[in-house]
Amino acid sequence: MVNLERRDLDLKVSMKSKNNKSLKLKNPLVTASGTCGNGKELAEFFDINQLGAFTTKGITVKSQSGNKTPRIAETSAGILNSIGLENPGVDSFITDILPETKDYTLPILANISGYSKQDFITLAEKLEGKEELAGIEVNLSCPNIKGGGMVFGTDSEKVFEITKKVREIYSGYIIVKLTPNITNITETALAAEEAGADAAAMINTLSAMKIDIDRQKPLLANTFGGLSGPAVKPVAVKMVYDCYKKLNIPILGLGGVRSGADVIEFMLAGATSVGIGTINMIEPAAGLRIIKEIENYMLKHQIQKLSSIIGAAH
Amino acid sequence: MFKIITNEEVGPDIFKLALKYDQLPQKPEPGQFFNIKVSQELSDDPLLRRPFSIFDFKSEEKRVEFIYKVVGKGTKILSKLKNGTELDVLGPLGSPFSLNNMNKEINLIGGGMGIAPLFYLAKKLEKQNADLKVYLGAADKSELNFFENKFSQLKADIYLASMSEELTIKGTALDLWLKKLKNKPDFIYSCGPEKMLAAVEKEALKNNIIGEISIEKRMGCGIGVCLSCSCETKTEDKKNKRACVEGPVFELGEVVLDG
Repeated sequence: MVNLERRDLDLKVSMKSKNNKSLKLKNPLVTASGTCGNGKELAEFFDINQLGAFTTKGITVKSQSGNKTPRIAETSAGILNSIGLENPGVDSFITDILPETKDYTLPILANISGYSKQDFITLAEKLEGKEELAGIEVNLSCPNIKGGGMVFGTDSEKVFEITKKVREIYSGYIIVKLTPNITNITETALAAEEAGADAAAMINTLSAMKIDIDRQKPLLANTFGGLSGPAVKPVAVKMVYDCYKKLNIPILGLGGVRSGADVIEFMLAGATSVGIGTINMIEPAAGLRIIKEIENYMLKHQIQKLSSIIGAAH
Repeated sequence: MFKIITNEEVGPDIFKLALKYDQLPQKPEPGQFFNIKVSQELSDDPLLRRPFSIFDFKSEEKRVEFIYKVVGKGTKILSKLKNGTELDVLGPLGSPFSLNNMNKEINLIGGGMGIAPLFYLAKKLEKQNADLKVYLGAADKSELNFFENKFSQLKADIYLASMSEELTIKGTALDLWLKKLKNKPDFIYSCGPEKMLAAVEKEALKNNIIGEISIEKRMGCGIGVCLSCSCETKTEDKKNKRACVEGPVFELGEVVLDG
């Protein structure tokens, strides 16, 4: 047997959906919404085109200034955030932010959030046909806004309804991002698939809180927040594992990834692509290191095509 | 790469950290900060970096200094690190104090650990021949000794206040400044607890005094991606500003302070 060398390795993955749509990535790494700004901040540290895809900060129909501060707290091996989707609104996103992504060669995904079905319809209409975008990520799982996001994501019927509406309007690639704050994530994942989603992303953050024992009050101004970071990874891996057996669309797995080993674990569980989020806040160029580590794993195990390990743990 | 060359206690739970670096992406300016990973390799706790404003910078020695107080897990871990330890550090980050105050009367007002970033600033202002008046306050005199010693090496008038004993006065840095404020200064710089900054700002604006403050805000990333440290502004468009990118230095009256 000939020993594989680094240049022989193939890290490409293809997120091929039931609708015959496909998102082709040069490697499985996708930035997680809200942890990478809109690209230019990270681009100061490294060439983000080396990643698989980029997901923008979540956008809503109208601009919003987010929750009161403190919006962030640390827990063991994790962070709690309650940013509350601070963003300039979809119109400003289209006029100011989208043009800035023109120079990027990697696929760009716009993450959209809403407070009503109508919000998602409006967002899908406004983003339909935007050539800068490879697709949209429908966030049905934000734990930090009241009366939206996660409220939809915990109800399979709502997931189906909203996804179906968005599917009717938006002709590009659609990823539905799901919440882990639910008894059985395979139900909402299947609902998204049946409604026409091209892929399912899991997981968003876990609903959580921290209390300041000196002030004897919740630490976050918003009381509750979403837990992310290494602490949530085992939960996310299990959810990907559960869904892989039931779904016929690809999975974007994320939650606490900070190394090549973590990416491999998600792929073995059944993820086709893998999100990197919290780690970007600590190590802006983490993606580059992680790609190296994936390659090292492939060399060690003499794996030529990375996509061959997807779901291999089953 | 950054290496610890000094990490010593200079007051009660107050430490001076001096790092030697190989190279920096740009020259650090007063008011900027470095984001230091205090947990060592392969440790997830604490996960986030800790931002520290620059206390002093000596380019000829490739040396940057910070003053920090042990207040939680991160600073406790940092305080135990030995000389020679290599640290993962990002910086300099953030927007610095403006420095266009040649030959002017400048007031510096610092409270508690907020005094730290004013020293590197004072050194630069001294070079511009500014007429410097420095007002420093802390809960206890023991927390001021180190700073008093450092500032007294500069050409500046120094006034001290503590809550525990009568120095120039007994009270806060704000009380001290107001008591001594006779001539209207051309510009002020202030750093300290948010309530103190709110009070300084209120008095300054009332007297048509212009200046800048450096604020402390819980940060996530320090590079502008996560929006954890967003500040409400009083500007016309009300657009939030990030303490880590547009700040931590803001003009008086620019952001909403919790008074």
